[in-house]
Amino acid sequence: MGTERKLNNRRKFFQTSAALVGGTLLYALIKPFEALAQPKEEEIKTDQANLAIWGMGVDLEKCIGCGKCAEACKIENKVPKEPFYFRTWVEQYTVKNDGTVIIESPNGGIGGLKQSVPDEEIFKSFMVPKLCNHCTKAPCVQACPVGATFISPDGVVLVDETYCIGCSYCIQACPYGARFMNPITKVADKCTFCYHRISEGLQPACVEVCPTDARIFGDLRDKESDLVKFLQVKPTQVLKPHLNTHSRVFYNGLSSEVK
Amino acid sequence: MPKLIFRLFLTFIVFVGIFILIQKLLTPESFGKYGHYRANSLDDNKMRTSFYKGDAKCTECHQEVYDLRETDVHSGVRCESCHSPKIDATTDCKVMPPIVKGTIKFCAECHATNPARLKKGVPQLDFKEHYEKQNCIECHNPHAPWELKEN
Repeated sequence: MGTERKLNNRRKFFQTSAALVGGTLLYALIKPFEALAQPKEEEIKTDQANLAIWGMGVDLEKCIGCGKCAEACKIENKVPKEPFYFRTWVEQYTVKNDGTVIIESPNGGIGGLKQSVPDEEIFKSFMVPKLCNHCTKAPCVQACPVGATFISPDGVVLVDETYCIGCSYCIQACPYGARFMNPITKVADKCTFCYHRISEGLQPACVEVCPTDARIFGDLRDKESDLVKFLQVKPTQVLKPHLNTHSRVFYNGLSSEVK
Repeated sequence: MPKLIFRLFLTFIVFVGIFILIQKLLTPESFGKYGHYRANSLDDNKMRTSFYKGDAKCTECHQEVYDLRETDVHSGVRCESCHSPKIDATTDCKVMPPIVKGTIKFCAECHATNPARLKKGVPQLDFKEHYEKQNCIECHNPHAPWELKEN
């Protein structure tokens, strides 16, 4: 009895060890061929290195708050005129002499912004155009439960309208308030840098119509582009840098009142 | 291997198989090609119609207006900054010409006095003092604002 059990034990031990070693060896043999199963992955990565990374510069020293950008955006992207949803809009900040800050944006600035505070009470006043900041680490993309919003290979945060389930988590996740629920399509909507235009080599509609060239659009990878030159010349900032979103919309002349 | 364990193992395999099958069926085409999203959506986003065509398109017919504009202070302003395309006629300006009436309200979008616009090179006017009852274009040529028309 005793010897039989011992033998049996030993046999089992050898069997298990052989299976383990064999398994490990087999895995090590198969591992290099894993790439064959998904051969496209490598190609895509090299492709992406040649793509543009789109970004925008906003020169607050030039913006006059005429609201042409907000109007053009609505026309170009068929955003309904009412209710008041905007892909891009202009805010007028007014700092009073007593330090209170008033932020106004009636109809997103369409039709030109008007100052409501009497001149003698104003300490300073300025316009701030806002849009999706196209974050490199976008909170909205992380929040989407189905993968309907994503960062495209050229760095634009887009929405997949056919795949979005309309849960509006992304709208809550966006720290810049740049997203809204489109009342017609019933899915999340946002600035796309006019993706259909930029992929044709055109400028986004807001950049196209800006009469004072306050918006500069370009490729962050292209060292000759207007945007890179703007970033080199002007001391720019991004909105809410403490959130670590690494946004790609850069503001020149941003005051600390802007949040 | 005991029968019980074998059955359990078999059920597990079947469940995993069914899961993989359902996942395959529900995952849309091209999902995950570039990342956790539908790669075809990039094309969907590209396929939209653009309404703003740029100055190059306008100058195909209106070269003389363009040349006039380039001589004066509105040279930096693009055609479509004022002549925005009409959304219901898509892009054909011959179907619905994007005419601007040149009213005070329209010009005031840029030229009305606002403390936030000072020192930005855009002339600021108090339209109550500056010919309240006339449309701007009755005196000014909008394409060359400093060429005043004779009254």
